[in-house]
Amino acid sequence: MVAENQHSHHEEEATDIAMFGFWVYLMTDLLMFSVLFAVYAVLQGKTMGGETGRELFSLPLALRETLILLTSSFTAGLGLIAARKGSKRQVLTWFGITFILGLSFLFFELNEFATLIKEGHTLQTNAFLSSFFILVGTHGLHITSGLIWMAATLGYILKRGINSHLVRKLALLSLFWHFLDIVWIFIFTVVYLRAFA
Amino acid sequence: MSHEHQSSQGEHGSVKSYVIGFILSLIFTAVPYYLVDNKIFSGTKLLVTIICFAIIQMIIQVFFFLHLGRGPKPLYNIVFFIGTVGLIIVVVGGSIFIINNLHYYMAPNELTKRIAEDEAIHQVEGKTTGACDSIHNSHIIYLKNNKLSPTTVKAVRCDTLTIINQDKISHEITFGSHASHGSYSGIEEFSVPKDRSKTITLNQNGTYLYHDHDYPTISGEFTVVEK
Repeated sequence: MVAENQHSHHEEEATDIAMFGFWVYLMTDLLMFSVLFAVYAVLQGKTMGGETGRELFSLPLALRETLILLTSSFTAGLGLIAARKGSKRQVLTWFGITFILGLSFLFFELNEFATLIKEGHTLQTNAFLSSFFILVGTHGLHITSGLIWMAATLGYILKRGINSHLVRKLALLSLFWHFLDIVWIFIFTVVYLRAFA
Repeated sequence: MSHEHQSSQGEHGSVKSYVIGFILSLIFTAVPYYLVDNKIFSGTKLLVTIICFAIIQMIIQVFFFLHLGRGPKPLYNIVFFIGTVGLIIVVVGGSIFIINNLHYYMAPNELTKRIAEDEAIHQVEGKTTGACDSIHNSHIIYLKNNKLSPTTVKAVRCDTLTIINQDKISHEITFGSHASHGSYSGIEEFSVPKDRSKTITLNQNGTYLYHDHDYPTISGEFTVVEK
C-alpha cells in the first residue's frame, strides 16, 4: 500500500513537471503568435488598392470554424476526464469526435485559402494578405500537428489501452488543443470580426 | 485511494467546469458576432467591445478549460502566464503605437509631395508630381527698415521668389492678410533671419498676400500665372 502510494506520488510529480515544461513551451508559442498578431494589426490596411478583408472574408464561415474548434476543445476536455477514469471506450469516443472536428476545421480553412488563391489573392498580392496567410496559416499548421499527435496517441490507445503514461500524454494534448482554441478566439476577433466592424 | 481520486478531480476540473466554460464561451462568441453582423454600433467603440469580449473569453477558457491556478503550488505556471501576457502587451501594443506614429508623421502622400518639391522631382513614371522641373526666373524682394521693395511681384509658374532681409532683426513672414492667415503650396509661414535670405519656388498659380504679423508695414503680394 505504501509502495503503491509512493509510486503514484512519483507519477503525479512527473506529470506536474511535464505539464509545467509543456506550459513553458505554450507560452513561448503564444509569444510567437503575438508577434504575428502585431504584424497583422499593423499591415491589415495595406492592400495597395486591392480588396480589403471585408470583401474577401466570410463572417458565417469564420463563425462556423469558431464553433467547430470551440466544440472540439470542449470534447477534448471531456476525453481527458474519461482518460482519468480509465475508460478506453469513452476516451476513443471523445477524442475521436475532437479529431473529426479538428479535421473539418482544417478542411474549411484550407478551402478558404484555396478559394482566395484561385481568385488571385495570394501571399504575394499585398502586405495585408501576406500577414493574413502567415498568421492564420501558422495556426493551421499547429492544428495539423495537433491532429497528427492525436491520431498517433489514439492509435496507441486502441492497441495498448489506457495507462498512466497515456493519461499524461492526453493531458498535454488537450492542453495544446485548448491553447489553439484560445489563439483562434483572437484570430476570429482581430482578423474576421474586425474586418466587418 | 478514493480520497486521492477526488482531489485530482478537483485539481483537473470536472465535467461541470467544462460545460460551464463551453456555454460561457458560446455566449462570448455569439454576442460579438451579433454586434458586428447587425452593425449595432461601429468604429472604435465596436472594436474595443469585441476585443474585450475576446479577452474575457480567453480568461474563461484559461480557468474552465486549462484549469490554471488549480495545479500544485507554488503556481509557477500562473507566474509564467502573467509574465508572458506582460511581454505580449509590450510587443503588440508597442508595435502598433510605433507604427501608427510613423504613419502619422510620415503619411506617404504628403511626404511624397514634400520630397518631390524639395528635390524638384517633376515627374515619376510619367505622372507629374506638381513640382517644377527647372527654374525659369528669379524675383528678388528686399526687406529693409521694415519695408518691402517691390511690394508686388508678377511671376510665371516655376519662377522663384527670394526675400533678402537687410534688417538687423529676423522676420517671420506669414501668408495671407493680417486679418486672415492663409498658406502657399502647403507652407503657412517661414522665417528670414537677419542678413539672410529665403527662397521659395512658385509652383502654385494665383494671387497671394504675405505679411509680417508683428510689423504691419511689411505686407506684399505676388501673382503667379501659368507660363
